[in-house]
Amino acid sequence: MKRVVLTFAFLLTTAAFAPAQVAVIANKSVPVDTVRKSKLLDFYTGDIRLWGNDEAVVVVDLKPRSDIKKRFYRYLGKRSSRMKSIWLKKMLSGEGDPPEALKTEEDVLHKVGNTQGAIGFLSASKVDSQQVKVLLIIPASAAQ
Amino acid sequence: MRRITSLSLLLLLQVSVCLGQTSESPLRIFGYFQNSFNHQTGTAEDPEQNSFNLQQLNLFFQKDLAKNWRAFVNFEFLNNFSSIRQWGAGNLEEAWVRYRSNPRFSVKLGLMIPAFNNLNEIKNRTPILPYVVRPLVYETSFSEFIAVEEFTPARAFVQAYGFLPADEAKIDYAIYIGNSPNISTIADQAQSGIDTTDTFLVGARLGLRAADLKIGISATRDNANFFRGAEQILPREVPASKFIEVPRTRLGADFSFNSNRWIFEAELISVLYDDDTPEISIDKLFYYATFGFDLTDQLFAYASYWLTRQDFTAFREDAPNAPALVVAEVDVRVPTLGVSYRLNDRITFKGQFARVLIEEEVKRLQIRENNNLNFYSVAASIFF
Repeated sequence: MKRVVLTFAFLLTTAAFAPAQVAVIANKSVPVDTVRKSKLLDFYTGDIRLWGNDEAVVVVDLKPRSDIKKRFYRYLGKRSSRMKSIWLKKMLSGEGDPPEALKTEEDVLHKVGNTQGAIGFLSASKVDSQQVKVLLIIPASAAQ
Repeated sequence: MRRITSLSLLLLLQVSVCLGQTSESPLRIFGYFQNSFNHQTGTAEDPEQNSFNLQQLNLFFQKDLAKNWRAFVNFEFLNNFSSIRQWGAGNLEEAWVRYRSNPRFSVKLGLMIPAFNNLNEIKNRTPILPYVVRPLVYETSFSEFIAVEEFTPARAFVQAYGFLPADEAKIDYAIYIGNSPNISTIADQAQSGIDTTDTFLVGARLGLRAADLKIGISATRDNANFFRGAEQILPREVPASKFIEVPRTRLGADFSFNSNRWIFEAELISVLYDDDTPEISIDKLFYYATFGFDLTDQLFAYASYWLTRQDFTAFREDAPNAPALVVAEVDVRVPTLGVSYRLNDRITFKGQFARVLIEEEVKRLQIRENNNLNFYSVAASIFF
Protein backbone atom coordinates (compact mmCIF):
# COMPACT_ATOMS: atom_id res chain seq x y z
CA MET A 1 0.00 0.00 0.00
CA LYS A 2 2.84 2.31 0.92
CA ARG A 3 4.47 1.61 -2.45
CA VAL A 4 1.25 2.49 -4.30
CA VAL A 5 0.92 5.76 -2.42
CA LEU A 6 4.54 6.63 -3.13
CA THR A 7 4.18 5.80 -6.83
CA PHE A 8 1.03 7.89 -7.00
CA ALA A 9 2.74 10.78 -5.23
CA PHE A 10 5.72 10.52 -7.61
CA LEU A 11 3.49 10.56 -10.68
CA LEU A 12 1.59 13.52 -9.31
CA THR A 13 4.80 15.43 -8.65
CA THR A 14 6.19 14.59 -12.08
CA ALA A 15 2.99 15.75 -13.74
CA ALA A 16 3.02 18.96 -11.75
CA PHE A 17 6.58 19.77 -12.82
CA ALA A 18 6.32 18.41 -16.38
CA PRO A 19 6.57 21.19 -18.96
CA ALA A 20 3.19 22.08 -20.43
CA GLN A 21 2.46 21.42 -24.07
CA VAL A 22 2.21 24.46 -26.32
CA ALA A 23 -0.83 24.83 -28.53
CA VAL A 24 -0.79 26.87 -31.72
CA ILE A 25 -4.25 28.33 -32.13
CA ALA A 26 -5.98 30.28 -34.86
CA ASN A 27 -9.19 32.13 -35.45
CA LYS A 28 -11.93 29.88 -36.79
CA SER A 29 -11.92 31.89 -40.04
CA VAL A 30 -8.53 30.63 -41.20
CA PRO A 31 -8.74 28.18 -44.08
CA VAL A 32 -6.40 25.52 -42.62
CA ASP A 33 -6.66 22.97 -39.83
CA THR A 34 -2.98 22.21 -39.32
CA VAL A 35 0.27 24.09 -39.73
CA ARG A 36 3.82 22.90 -40.44
CA LYS A 37 6.79 24.18 -38.47
CA SER A 38 8.36 25.91 -41.49
CA LYS A 39 5.11 27.70 -42.32
CA LEU A 40 4.68 28.72 -38.69
CA LEU A 41 8.14 30.26 -38.78
CA ASP A 42 7.20 32.09 -41.97
CA PHE A 43 4.14 33.57 -40.23
CA TYR A 44 6.19 34.67 -37.24
CA THR A 45 9.00 36.18 -39.34
CA GLY A 46 6.57 37.97 -41.65
CA ASP A 47 7.54 36.01 -44.77
CA ILE A 48 3.92 34.94 -45.19
CA ARG A 49 1.28 37.60 -44.58
CA LEU A 50 -1.80 36.11 -46.20
CA TRP A 51 -3.78 32.94 -45.67
CA GLY A 52 -4.80 30.90 -48.70
CA ASN A 53 -8.10 32.81 -48.86
CA ASP A 54 -6.25 36.18 -49.08
CA GLU A 55 -7.15 37.05 -45.51
CA ALA A 56 -4.36 38.88 -43.68
CA VAL A 57 -2.38 36.84 -41.14
CA VAL A 58 -2.56 38.56 -37.75
CA VAL A 59 0.29 37.25 -35.61
CA VAL A 60 -0.14 37.41 -31.84
CA ASP A 61 2.75 37.10 -29.39
CA LEU A 62 3.08 36.82 -25.61
CA LYS A 63 4.77 39.70 -23.84
CA PRO A 64 6.26 38.23 -20.64
CA ARG A 65 9.33 36.00 -20.75
CA SER A 66 7.33 32.90 -19.92
CA ASP A 67 8.25 29.26 -20.21
CA ILE A 68 5.56 28.80 -22.88
CA LYS A 69 7.02 31.59 -24.99
CA LYS A 70 10.54 30.26 -24.63
CA ARG A 71 9.48 26.77 -25.68
CA PHE A 72 7.41 28.01 -28.61
CA TYR A 73 10.34 29.87 -30.10
CA ARG A 74 12.73 27.06 -29.27
CA TYR A 75 10.45 24.78 -31.31
CA LEU A 76 10.78 27.23 -34.18
CA GLY A 77 14.57 27.09 -33.78
CA LYS A 78 14.90 30.72 -32.67
CA ARG A 79 15.49 32.37 -29.35
CA SER A 80 12.88 34.98 -28.55
CA SER A 81 15.68 37.60 -28.49
CA ARG A 82 16.62 36.60 -32.05
CA MET A 83 12.98 36.91 -33.10
CA LYS A 84 12.88 40.38 -31.60
CA SER A 85 15.89 41.32 -33.72
CA ILE A 86 14.18 40.01 -36.84
CA TRP A 87 11.05 42.08 -36.16
CA LEU A 88 13.04 45.17 -35.24
CA LYS A 89 15.02 44.85 -38.45
CA LYS A 90 11.84 44.63 -40.49
CA MET A 91 10.29 47.54 -38.64
CA LEU A 92 13.30 49.83 -39.01
CA SER A 93 13.53 48.98 -42.70
CA GLY A 94 9.88 49.82 -43.29
CA GLU A 95 9.30 46.19 -44.29
CA GLY A 96 6.90 45.09 -41.59
CA ASP A 97 5.51 45.61 -38.14
CA PRO A 98 6.15 43.40 -35.12
CA PRO A 99 3.26 41.27 -33.87
CA GLU A 100 1.08 42.53 -31.08
CA ALA A 101 2.43 41.15 -27.79
CA LEU A 102 -0.21 40.49 -25.12
CA LYS A 103 0.26 40.23 -21.39
CA THR A 104 -1.48 36.93 -20.60
CA GLU A 105 -2.41 33.69 -22.29
CA GLU A 106 -6.06 34.53 -21.63
CA ASP A 107 -5.56 37.73 -23.64
CA VAL A 108 -4.06 35.68 -26.48
CA LEU A 109 -7.02 33.30 -26.46
CA HIS A 110 -9.47 36.22 -26.51
CA LYS A 111 -7.60 38.13 -29.21
CA VAL A 112 -7.18 35.13 -31.53
CA GLY A 113 -10.78 34.08 -31.01
CA ASN A 114 -12.07 37.53 -31.91
CA THR A 115 -9.75 38.56 -34.74
CA GLN A 116 -10.18 37.32 -38.30
CA GLY A 117 -7.00 35.63 -39.57
CA ALA A 118 -5.30 35.65 -36.17
CA ILE A 119 -2.79 33.05 -35.02
CA GLY A 120 -1.14 32.70 -31.62
CA PHE A 121 0.15 30.26 -29.03
CA LEU A 122 -0.54 29.36 -25.40
CA SER A 123 -0.49 26.44 -22.98
CA ALA A 124 -2.49 23.53 -24.36
CA SER A 125 -4.40 23.33 -21.07
CA LYS A 126 -5.78 26.85 -21.60
CA VAL A 127 -7.27 26.26 -25.03
CA ASP A 128 -11.00 26.75 -25.39
CA SER A 129 -11.93 24.96 -28.60
CA GLN A 130 -15.27 26.79 -28.65
CA GLN A 131 -13.40 30.05 -29.32
CA VAL A 132 -10.48 28.99 -31.52
CA LYS A 133 -9.19 26.13 -33.61
CA VAL A 134 -6.00 24.27 -32.66
CA LEU A 135 -3.57 23.98 -35.56
CA LEU A 136 -0.74 22.24 -33.75
CA ILE A 137 0.17 20.80 -30.37
CA ILE A 138 3.87 21.09 -29.74
CA PRO A 139 4.88 18.17 -27.54
CA ALA A 140 6.91 19.12 -24.50
CA SER A 141 9.78 16.97 -25.78
CA ALA A 142 9.92 18.85 -29.12
CA ALA A 143 10.49 22.21 -27.47
CA GLN A 144 13.22 21.24 -25.01
CA MET B 1 -35.78 65.87 -55.38
CA ARG B 2 -36.10 62.32 -54.16
CA ARG B 3 -34.03 61.12 -57.12
CA ILE B 4 -31.30 63.65 -56.29
CA THR B 5 -31.25 62.57 -52.66
CA SER B 6 -31.00 58.90 -53.66
CA LEU B 7 -28.18 59.74 -56.08
CA SER B 8 -26.34 61.68 -53.38
CA LEU B 9 -26.71 58.82 -50.93
CA LEU B 10 -25.44 56.40 -53.56
CA LEU B 11 -22.41 58.60 -54.27
CA LEU B 12 -21.73 58.96 -50.55
CA LEU B 13 -21.93 55.20 -50.17
CA GLN B 14 -19.50 54.70 -53.08
CA VAL B 15 -17.00 57.14 -51.56
CA SER B 16 -17.30 55.42 -48.18
CA VAL B 17 -16.68 52.03 -49.76
CA CYS B 18 -13.65 53.40 -51.64
CA LEU B 19 -12.20 54.94 -48.49
CA GLY B 20 -12.84 51.71 -46.66
CA GLN B 21 -10.81 49.85 -49.25
CA THR B 22 -7.82 52.16 -49.00
CA SER B 23 -6.60 50.71 -45.66
CA GLU B 24 -5.06 54.09 -44.94
CA SER B 25 -3.29 54.09 -41.60
CA PRO B 26 -2.27 56.95 -39.31
CA LEU B 27 1.18 58.44 -39.81
CA ARG B 28 3.72 56.65 -37.60
CA ILE B 29 6.78 58.51 -36.40
CA PHE B 30 9.61 56.60 -34.80
CA GLY B 31 13.38 56.50 -34.78
CA TYR B 32 16.53 55.88 -32.81
CA PHE B 33 19.80 57.46 -31.84
CA GLN B 34 23.18 56.25 -30.66
CA ASN B 35 25.28 58.27 -28.26
CA SER B 36 28.85 57.20 -27.62
CA PHE B 37 32.00 58.03 -25.72
CA ASN B 38 35.26 57.17 -27.45
CA HIS B 39 38.85 57.09 -26.35
CA GLN B 40 41.43 56.87 -29.10
CA THR B 41 45.12 56.49 -28.37
CA GLY B 42 47.48 58.88 -30.11
CA THR B 43 49.63 58.16 -33.14
CA ALA B 44 52.64 59.88 -34.69
CA GLU B 45 50.24 62.05 -36.68
CA ASP B 46 47.19 62.41 -34.45
CA PRO B 47 46.89 63.27 -30.75
CA GLU B 48 44.99 61.21 -28.23
CA GLN B 49 41.24 61.81 -28.33
CA ASN B 50 38.48 61.56 -25.76
CA SER B 51 35.13 62.54 -27.05
CA PHE B 52 31.41 62.24 -26.58
CA ASN B 53 29.50 61.94 -29.81
CA LEU B 54 25.90 61.73 -30.88
CA GLN B 55 26.94 59.36 -33.64
CA GLN B 56 23.63 59.15 -35.33
CA LEU B 57 19.97 60.01 -35.08
CA ASN B 58 17.42 58.64 -37.51
CA LEU B 59 13.85 59.78 -37.74
CA PHE B 60 11.29 57.73 -39.66
CA PHE B 61 7.88 58.64 -41.00
CA GLN B 62 5.76 55.73 -42.20
CA LYS B 63 2.25 55.58 -43.55
CA ASP B 64 0.20 52.92 -45.27
CA LEU B 65 -1.44 54.87 -48.07
CA ALA B 66 -3.74 52.15 -49.31
CA LYS B 67 -3.92 48.40 -49.41
CA ASN B 68 -0.46 47.22 -50.63
CA TRP B 69 1.03 50.75 -50.67
CA ARG B 70 3.37 52.12 -48.03
CA ALA B 71 5.33 55.39 -47.88
CA PHE B 72 8.53 55.61 -45.82
CA VAL B 73 10.83 58.57 -45.13
CA ASN B 74 14.14 58.39 -43.25
CA PHE B 75 16.06 61.48 -42.10
CA GLU B 76 19.55 60.90 -40.74
CA PHE B 77 21.74 63.23 -38.68
CA LEU B 78 25.38 62.34 -38.03
CA ASN B 79 28.15 63.38 -35.64
CA ASN B 80 26.52 65.96 -33.32
CA PHE B 81 24.80 67.55 -36.27
CA SER B 82 24.53 71.31 -35.93
CA SER B 83 24.16 73.51 -38.96
CA ILE B 84 25.08 76.67 -37.02
CA ARG B 85 28.39 75.13 -35.91
CA GLN B 86 28.89 73.39 -39.25
CA TRP B 87 29.27 70.04 -37.53
CA GLY B 88 28.20 66.65 -38.80
CA ALA B 89 25.75 66.02 -41.59
CA GLY B 90 22.02 65.90 -42.11
CA ASN B 91 20.73 63.68 -44.91
CA LEU B 92 17.50 62.62 -46.45
CA GLU B 93 18.46 58.95 -46.61
CA GLU B 94 15.26 57.41 -47.87
CA ALA B 95 11.91 58.54 -49.24
CA TRP B 96 10.09 55.81 -51.07
CA VAL B 97 6.72 54.34 -51.77
CA ARG B 98 6.40 50.57 -51.92
CA TYR B 99 3.89 48.42 -53.69
CA ARG B 100 3.61 44.91 -52.24
CA SER B 101 0.94 42.43 -53.13
CA ASN B 102 2.79 39.82 -51.06
CA PRO B 103 6.36 39.47 -49.72
CA ARG B 104 7.37 37.46 -52.77
CA PHE B 105 7.29 40.56 -54.96
CA SER B 106 7.61 44.21 -54.00
CA VAL B 107 8.56 47.33 -55.90
CA LYS B 108 10.01 50.45 -54.30
CA LEU B 109 10.03 53.80 -56.06
CA GLY B 110 11.94 56.81 -54.75
CA LEU B 111 15.17 57.35 -52.88
CA MET B 112 16.28 54.17 -51.12
CA ILE B 113 19.27 52.21 -49.82
CA PRO B 114 19.56 49.28 -52.22
CA ALA B 115 20.12 45.61 -51.40
CA PHE B 116 23.81 44.74 -51.41
CA ASN B 117 25.29 41.96 -49.32
CA ASN B 118 23.91 41.48 -45.83
CA LEU B 119 24.50 44.77 -44.08
CA ASN B 120 24.04 47.54 -46.63
CA GLU B 121 20.31 48.09 -46.12
CA ILE B 122 20.58 47.90 -42.33
CA LYS B 123 24.03 49.44 -41.84
CA ASN B 124 22.56 52.48 -40.13
CA ARG B 125 20.03 50.65 -37.95
CA THR B 126 22.09 50.92 -34.78
CA PRO B 127 19.52 49.28 -32.44
CA ILE B 128 19.81 45.95 -34.28
CA LEU B 129 23.60 45.96 -34.64
CA PRO B 130 25.85 45.08 -31.68
CA TYR B 131 28.66 47.38 -32.81
CA VAL B 132 29.49 50.89 -31.60
CA VAL B 133 31.74 51.27 -34.64
CA ARG B 134 30.43 49.17 -37.50
CA PRO B 135 32.59 47.25 -39.99
CA LEU B 136 34.40 50.16 -41.57
CA VAL B 137 32.73 50.53 -44.95
CA TYR B 138 29.34 50.55 -43.21
CA GLU B 139 30.32 53.17 -40.65
CA THR B 140 28.55 56.18 -42.13
CA SER B 141 29.86 58.51 -39.43
CA PHE B 142 33.39 57.81 -40.77
CA SER B 143 32.52 58.92 -44.29
CA GLU B 144 34.75 61.98 -43.93
CA PHE B 145 37.87 59.81 -44.03
CA ILE B 146 36.75 56.51 -45.55
CA ALA B 147 35.16 56.50 -48.99
CA VAL B 148 32.23 54.42 -47.77
CA GLU B 149 30.11 55.19 -50.81
CA GLU B 150 32.77 53.76 -53.11
CA PHE B 151 32.56 50.38 -51.40
CA THR B 152 28.79 50.04 -51.27
CA PRO B 153 25.91 51.56 -53.25
CA ALA B 154 24.37 54.25 -51.06
CA ARG B 155 21.26 55.02 -53.03
CA ALA B 156 19.01 53.77 -55.80
CA PHE B 157 15.68 54.95 -57.14
CA VAL B 158 13.77 51.88 -58.33
CA GLN B 159 14.05 48.42 -56.81
CA ALA B 160 12.12 45.20 -57.39
CA TYR B 161 12.69 42.53 -54.76
CA GLY B 162 11.22 39.59 -52.93
CA PHE B 163 11.75 35.87 -52.64
CA LEU B 164 10.83 32.66 -54.39
CA PRO B 165 10.07 29.62 -52.24
CA ALA B 166 12.03 26.47 -53.06
CA ASP B 167 10.89 23.65 -50.76
CA GLU B 168 11.99 24.69 -47.27
CA ALA B 169 14.41 27.29 -48.65
CA LYS B 170 13.86 30.75 -50.10
CA ILE B 171 15.64 32.41 -52.97
CA ASP B 172 15.94 36.14 -52.32
CA TYR B 173 16.28 38.50 -55.23
CA ALA B 174 16.63 42.24 -55.71
CA ILE B 175 17.35 44.29 -58.78
CA TYR B 176 17.68 48.06 -58.83
CA ILE B 177 18.67 51.12 -60.79
CA GLY B 178 19.95 54.56 -59.77
CA ASN B 179 22.36 57.31 -60.67
CA SER B 180 26.10 57.00 -61.20
CA PRO B 181 28.08 58.95 -58.56
CA ASN B 182 29.17 61.78 -60.86
CA ILE B 183 25.70 62.84 -61.77
CA SER B 184 26.46 66.42 -62.78
CA THR B 185 29.17 67.00 -65.35
CA ILE B 186 28.67 70.75 -65.52
CA ALA B 187 31.73 71.87 -63.61
CA ASP B 188 30.68 75.46 -62.87
CA GLN B 189 27.38 74.43 -61.29
CA ALA B 190 27.01 73.09 -57.83
CA GLN B 191 25.77 69.50 -57.57
CA SER B 192 22.04 69.71 -57.93
CA GLY B 193 21.20 66.05 -57.78
CA ILE B 194 20.27 66.10 -61.45
CA ASP B 195 21.96 63.54 -63.62
CA THR B 196 23.56 65.15 -66.65
CA THR B 197 25.25 61.95 -67.77
CA ASP B 198 23.82 59.06 -69.71
CA THR B 199 25.15 56.52 -67.21
CA PHE B 200 23.24 54.67 -64.52
CA LEU B 201 23.87 52.48 -61.55
CA VAL B 202 22.42 49.01 -62.02
CA GLY B 203 22.72 46.37 -59.34
CA ALA B 204 21.36 43.11 -58.04
CA ARG B 205 21.52 40.66 -55.18
CA LEU B 206 20.70 36.97 -55.36
CA GLY B 207 20.54 35.03 -52.13
CA LEU B 208 19.47 31.81 -50.53
CA ARG B 209 17.90 31.33 -47.10
CA ALA B 210 17.56 27.84 -45.70
CA ALA B 211 16.93 27.20 -42.00
CA ASP B 212 19.69 29.10 -40.18
CA LEU B 213 21.85 29.73 -43.23
CA LYS B 214 21.79 32.81 -45.41
CA ILE B 215 24.13 33.39 -48.34
CA GLY B 216 24.15 35.79 -51.24
CA ILE B 217 26.06 37.39 -54.05
CA SER B 218 25.72 41.02 -55.12
CA ALA B 219 26.97 43.15 -57.96
CA THR B 220 26.63 46.72 -59.19
CA ARG B 221 27.84 48.46 -62.31
CA ASP B 222 28.11 52.23 -62.74
CA ASN B 223 30.53 54.85 -64.05
CA ALA B 224 32.83 57.21 -62.17
CA ASN B 225 34.82 60.29 -63.07
CA PHE B 226 37.47 59.94 -60.38
CA PHE B 227 40.22 59.54 -63.03
CA ARG B 228 39.37 62.71 -64.94
CA GLY B 229 42.60 64.49 -65.93
CA ALA B 230 44.82 61.45 -65.27
CA GLU B 231 46.18 61.63 -68.83
CA GLN B 232 48.16 64.75 -67.81
CA ILE B 233 50.34 62.86 -65.34
CA LEU B 234 50.80 59.63 -67.25
CA PRO B 235 54.29 59.16 -68.75
CA ARG B 236 52.75 58.05 -72.05
CA GLU B 237 50.10 59.40 -74.37
CA VAL B 238 46.60 58.36 -73.49
CA PRO B 239 43.50 60.15 -74.78
CA ALA B 240 41.64 62.17 -72.15
CA SER B 241 38.36 60.49 -73.14
CA LYS B 242 39.69 57.24 -71.70
CA PHE B 243 39.37 58.66 -68.19
CA ILE B 244 35.84 59.97 -68.43
CA GLU B 245 33.05 57.89 -66.96
CA VAL B 246 35.24 54.90 -66.22
CA PRO B 247 33.15 51.76 -65.65
CA ARG B 248 33.15 50.59 -62.04
CA THR B 249 32.09 47.17 -60.81
CA ARG B 250 31.34 46.22 -57.23
CA LEU B 251 31.22 42.54 -56.42
CA GLY B 252 29.99 41.27 -53.09
CA ALA B 253 29.39 38.01 -51.27
CA ASP B 254 27.76 37.47 -47.91
CA PHE B 255 27.35 34.54 -45.59
CA SER B 256 25.61 34.26 -42.27
CA PHE B 257 24.70 31.37 -40.05
CA ASN B 258 23.03 31.41 -36.69
CA SER B 259 22.37 28.53 -34.38
CA ASN B 260 20.33 28.76 -31.22
CA ARG B 261 22.97 30.77 -29.34
CA TRP B 262 25.71 31.79 -31.72
CA ILE B 263 26.06 33.55 -35.04
CA PHE B 264 28.73 33.77 -37.67
CA GLU B 265 28.57 36.30 -40.48
CA ALA B 266 31.01 37.42 -43.11
CA GLU B 267 31.11 39.62 -46.19
CA LEU B 268 33.45 40.34 -49.05
CA ILE B 269 33.40 43.40 -51.31
CA SER B 270 35.68 44.09 -54.26
CA VAL B 271 35.56 47.40 -56.15
CA LEU B 272 37.19 47.38 -59.56
CA TYR B 273 37.69 50.31 -61.94
CA ASP B 274 37.92 49.24 -65.52
CA ASP B 275 40.44 51.95 -66.50
CA ASP B 276 42.82 49.64 -68.36
CA THR B 277 45.83 51.67 -67.15
CA PRO B 278 48.33 49.69 -65.06
CA GLU B 279 50.11 52.84 -63.83
CA ILE B 280 47.12 54.01 -61.83
CA SER B 281 44.70 52.26 -59.55
CA ILE B 282 42.08 53.12 -56.98
CA ASP B 283 40.65 49.61 -56.67
CA LYS B 284 39.34 48.56 -53.27
CA LEU B 285 38.79 45.45 -51.21
CA PHE B 286 36.93 44.86 -47.97
CA TYR B 287 35.98 41.90 -45.88
CA TYR B 288 34.80 41.25 -42.39
CA ALA B 289 33.89 38.25 -40.29
CA THR B 290 32.07 38.29 -36.97
CA PHE B 291 31.56 35.48 -34.51
CA GLY B 292 29.00 36.23 -31.81
CA PHE B 293 27.45 34.43 -28.89
CA ASP B 294 24.26 35.03 -26.87
CA LEU B 295 25.54 34.76 -23.30
CA THR B 296 21.98 35.35 -22.09
CA ASP B 297 18.78 36.59 -23.75
CA GLN B 298 20.05 40.14 -23.18
CA LEU B 299 23.82 39.91 -23.32
CA PHE B 300 25.63 39.31 -26.61
CA ALA B 301 29.40 39.12 -27.06
CA TYR B 302 31.33 39.08 -30.31
CA ALA B 303 34.74 39.05 -31.90
CA SER B 304 35.19 40.51 -35.36
CA TYR B 305 37.93 41.14 -37.89
CA TRP B 306 37.77 43.75 -40.64
CA LEU B 307 40.08 44.62 -43.49
CA THR B 308 39.90 47.47 -45.97
CA ARG B 309 42.51 47.64 -48.72
CA GLN B 310 42.51 50.79 -50.82
CA ASP B 311 44.78 51.59 -53.73
CA PHE B 312 45.90 55.19 -54.13
CA THR B 313 47.83 56.62 -57.02
CA ALA B 314 50.46 59.18 -56.05
CA PHE B 315 52.89 61.34 -57.98
CA ARG B 316 56.30 60.81 -56.30
CA GLU B 317 59.07 63.24 -57.12
CA ASP B 318 61.47 61.37 -54.82
CA ALA B 319 61.17 58.22 -56.90
CA PRO B 320 64.45 56.79 -58.21
CA ASN B 321 65.57 58.07 -61.63
CA ALA B 322 62.63 60.31 -62.39
CA PRO B 323 59.28 61.55 -61.14
CA ALA B 324 56.92 58.64 -61.34
CA LEU B 325 53.44 57.59 -60.62
CA VAL B 326 53.21 55.05 -57.87
CA VAL B 327 50.39 52.98 -56.56
CA ALA B 328 50.22 52.88 -52.78
CA GLU B 329 48.24 50.20 -51.02
CA VAL B 330 46.76 51.20 -47.70
CA ASP B 331 45.48 48.41 -45.49
CA VAL B 332 43.40 49.07 -42.41
CA ARG B 333 43.04 45.92 -40.32
CA VAL B 334 40.79 45.96 -37.29
CA PRO B 335 40.53 43.09 -34.85
CA THR B 336 37.75 44.03 -32.46
CA LEU B 337 35.84 42.68 -29.44
CA GLY B 338 32.57 43.89 -28.06
CA VAL B 339 29.44 43.28 -26.04
CA SER B 340 25.91 44.56 -26.26
CA TYR B 341 23.37 44.44 -23.47
CA ARG B 342 19.70 44.82 -24.29
CA LEU B 343 18.20 46.38 -21.19
CA ASN B 344 14.73 46.22 -22.72
CA ASP B 345 13.13 46.50 -26.14
CA ARG B 346 14.09 50.17 -26.35
CA ILE B 347 17.51 50.57 -24.78
CA THR B 348 20.74 48.76 -25.67
CA PHE B 349 24.14 49.44 -24.12
CA LYS B 350 27.28 48.61 -26.06
CA GLY B 351 31.00 48.42 -25.43
CA GLN B 352 33.76 47.82 -27.95
CA PHE B 353 37.51 47.63 -28.16
CA ALA B 354 39.24 47.87 -31.52
CA ARG B 355 42.91 47.64 -32.39
CA VAL B 356 43.40 49.64 -35.60
CA LEU B 357 46.43 48.63 -37.68
CA ILE B 358 47.15 50.97 -40.58
CA GLU B 359 49.80 49.92 -43.06
CA GLU B 360 50.82 51.87 -46.14
CA GLU B 361 52.97 50.18 -48.71
CA VAL B 362 54.40 51.39 -52.00
CA LYS B 363 55.63 48.13 -53.47
CA ARG B 364 57.49 49.73 -56.35
CA LEU B 365 59.60 51.83 -53.98
CA GLN B 366 59.75 49.28 -51.18
CA ILE B 367 58.32 51.79 -48.74
CA ARG B 368 56.25 50.59 -45.81
CA GLU B 369 54.78 52.70 -43.00
CA ASN B 370 52.80 51.52 -40.02
CA ASN B 371 50.50 53.46 -37.78
CA ASN B 372 48.56 51.75 -35.03
CA LEU B 373 46.06 52.90 -32.47
CA ASN B 374 43.57 51.57 -29.97
CA PHE B 375 39.95 52.59 -29.94
CA TYR B 376 37.75 52.12 -26.88
CA SER B 377 34.09 53.03 -27.00
CA VAL B 378 30.87 52.71 -25.06
CA ALA B 379 27.45 53.65 -26.38
CA ALA B 380 23.76 53.65 -25.72
CA SER B 381 21.38 52.96 -28.58
CA ILE B 382 17.86 54.18 -27.98
CA PHE B 383 14.84 53.24 -30.05
CA PHE B 384 11.80 55.47 -29.66
